[in-house]
Amino acid sequence: MSGPLRLDPDGLVACVACGLCLPHCPTYRVTGREIASPRGRIAAMRAVEAGAAPADDAFVRAIDECIQCRGCEAACPSGVPFGHLVEATRAALGPVGPWWRRAAEAVALRLLAPRHTLLVAATWVLLAAQRLRLVPARLGLPRLRAASLRPLDLPAGGSPDAWLFPGCVMDAWMRDTHRAAARVIRATGAVVARPGAGADCCGALHLHTGRIALARRLAARVVRSMPGDAPVVVDSAGCGAVMKDYGRLLGTPEAGAFAARVHDFSEWLATRPPPPVARTGRTVVVQDPCHLRHVQRAHGAVRSVLRDAYEIVETDDDGLCCGAGGLYAATRPALASAVRDRKVAAIGRAAPGAVVASANPGCTMHLRAAGLDVRHPAELLAEVLDG
Amino acid sequence: MLGTANATAEPLELALYARDAGVAEGHAVAVCWPATGAQLAAAVRVARAHGRPFVVRGSGTGLAGGATPLGDPVVIVTTRLDRILEVDARSRVAWVEPGVLNLDLSRAVRHLGLHYAPDPSSQQACTIGGNVGTNAGGPHCLAYGVTSAHVLAVEVVLPDGEVALLGGLAPDEPGYDLRGCFVGSEGTMGAATRIAVRLTPDPPEVATMLCAFASVEDAAATVSETIASGVLPAALEMMDAPITRAVEDFVGAGYPRDAQAVLLVEVDGLPAGVAEQAAQVEAIARAHGATAVRTAADEAERALLWKGRKSAFGAIARIAPDYYLHDAVVPRTRLVEVLGEIARIAAAHRLLVMNVFHAGDGNLHPLIVFDGREPGTWQRVRAAGTAILEACLDAGGVLTGEHGVGVEKRDLMPRLFGPDDLDAQARLRDAFDPDGAANPMKVLPRGSRCGELQRVPEGTWI
Repeated sequence: MSGPLRLDPDGLVACVACGLCLPHCPTYRVTGREIASPRGRIAAMRAVEAGAAPADDAFVRAIDECIQCRGCEAACPSGVPFGHLVEATRAALGPVGPWWRRAAEAVALRLLAPRHTLLVAATWVLLAAQRLRLVPARLGLPRLRAASLRPLDLPAGGSPDAWLFPGCVMDAWMRDTHRAAARVIRATGAVVARPGAGADCCGALHLHTGRIALARRLAARVVRSMPGDAPVVVDSAGCGAVMKDYGRLLGTPEAGAFAARVHDFSEWLATRPPPPVARTGRTVVVQDPCHLRHVQRAHGAVRSVLRDAYEIVETDDDGLCCGAGGLYAATRPALASAVRDRKVAAIGRAAPGAVVASANPGCTMHLRAAGLDVRHPAELLAEVLDG
Repeated sequence: MLGTANATAEPLELALYARDAGVAEGHAVAVCWPATGAQLAAAVRVARAHGRPFVVRGSGTGLAGGATPLGDPVVIVTTRLDRILEVDARSRVAWVEPGVLNLDLSRAVRHLGLHYAPDPSSQQACTIGGNVGTNAGGPHCLAYGVTSAHVLAVEVVLPDGEVALLGGLAPDEPGYDLRGCFVGSEGTMGAATRIAVRLTPDPPEVATMLCAFASVEDAAATVSETIASGVLPAALEMMDAPITRAVEDFVGAGYPRDAQAVLLVEVDGLPAGVAEQAAQVEAIARAHGATAVRTAADEAERALLWKGRKSAFGAIARIAPDYYLHDAVVPRTRLVEVLGEIARIAAAHRLLVMNVFHAGDGNLHPLIVFDGREPGTWQRVRAAGTAILEACLDAGGVLTGEHGVGVEKRDLMPRLFGPDDLDAQARLRDAFDPDGAANPMKVLPRGSRCGELQRVPEGTWI
């Protein structure tokens, strides 16, 4: 069976409709509707693929409402490759949503993300606009700082012990996180460098919005930008997840070998001799970015690296998504904030007012917009490095 | 009252409510998602005013087609009725709405040292309302009792839209036990809007053991001997070789891949008693040829062992894309014989059958796995399923242990009940629902009432 969506038939039939995914789906949790659940979305994909239902507005909405957190995959006993099914469906549907959203996505993803210099220039313009109070607060954008936009004090290229992948939005809006990551990496005795030309963007946002061809081009450039066999350290969980999947995305042995070198920041750090840190006794609530927990399944490392300096507190929500989802918080603000309400409540139950550790820029911005004090594990560690 | 956003007749959404986790398909004319008891009652009244029956469902994890919409009904979904209304830790009672997830309730009272005891394998996803509907069981119901033993009172919307409170918090409510009638009525007597459940104190000590055997016979003999010895384990579960391997592929909990049968045994209580009972179970297992006995070292290992057991049904998709899961109870003493017969039936129909079940109370779950894309497979699966259920009945068993009758086993009810029994049940149902508007065509087969013909509309494919 291969219909209009050209989905992998074996992946599609693997779902036995048991429903164990339901409580792990953020959009199902806030709506209670089958169509907003993994099981419902798969049934809808099957119906469209089999020609039993049209790929109409209701279907497009069902697919577009998925945050692609992939919490369902970790919960699925049948191993349904839900993330890949949604990516392929998005690719078959093409860009969706109202014209202004498609236009904004085209500017962000086709024009800015692949050209990092342009993105940084645009960020300066945005910063100026923020100072002139021209940017409405409801957009939930982080408050940009000129100091953060200073160039990174890192050599480009060469043959370092570890590469630090800067990425697109992260390097434009949250460069301080990279500074902190570089400090911690150096504190372990490793020589760290940033990639040479071509590492503008990992392609994750493109892949999640169905722009697979562009995602592949960006991925191929990223692979070429960090030659050799040094580990590639990524301090954005969303980027790391897709970079670990480059082997499948590009289908070449080189991409597979590159993917095997990719590590989340905490994951890499946990394999190193621990840097000397001061024990603070301060409480930190760990928020697991979905693509670290459900896709990379490397969230345990965040706890290992923070444990020496902080008292770690867990939330009781089984790693349910916070609603950020890359561009999702901007394109689906109502659902994104309903999902976030649950996460904010879970963090409040765990340790009211505590600092939150999050290893992903999207989650960080989304939760900060709700008033939480959110830091990257690298920042929390850089703060307490001895000496 | 509900607002247009919380009700729909959009074809794609209707299609997604055509079935639950079972295989029977029906058709809904509308679906709605009330957020309060009053809205749910209004939905029932609107359906009735338009001459429609109604089907209430929670998460749709049922396997007997109990939530399959037959007779072109309005489907009323309880997922937004998900508030825990009141927890009284001293009386160990909680009032909850029907859409509260089973595991969410236990989590919410964990800090009080309490939990909700019935724990179906789908407990992370299934709702308390659905549990009440099917009188759900679970591994720990061997010692703690099934849902009925944990439901004190139910506020229901009767099929005519009136609201009634059945049962109460007193230990022995005066009058007939209408609460007892309602629990397990599979939505045929109305819809729960609030449920008072009993909360159970967490046992001070728990030991979870995994025993591996070289034959199903050895495992079954261990089960019988354990119960006969006077030990009442909190749970006593059996898995055969194929399902054990499928589960191990999913959870990696250290289930032995080479065992022909595995028992998961849990004993709980005061520390001294637990140690003694665990030693007793281990001795019995070893006397019956257990090749390995392992006790979970900590809570994490215990949780992993249970995750394996509770993911068993979903994990079979790693073997074949479709499954048909049955639910029947046989006398414990005849387990070995019935398991052998099930294997013979499966072989005769050229099908693979696996077994994972609540061995302690003889509640079998034969699981037929197949690829429905191969022509003719479904016919063989249905024929084998019926033969398996008949074999269980012939061994002195009953049709269902915990999944309910739904539509799946409706037509086998006359194998278990005579005409007078069925008539009495039909009249009880009529007392709640004289017009047959609540979940029509479920539980009782057509012709259950003496001298009546089926009154619900025809034409639905099931």
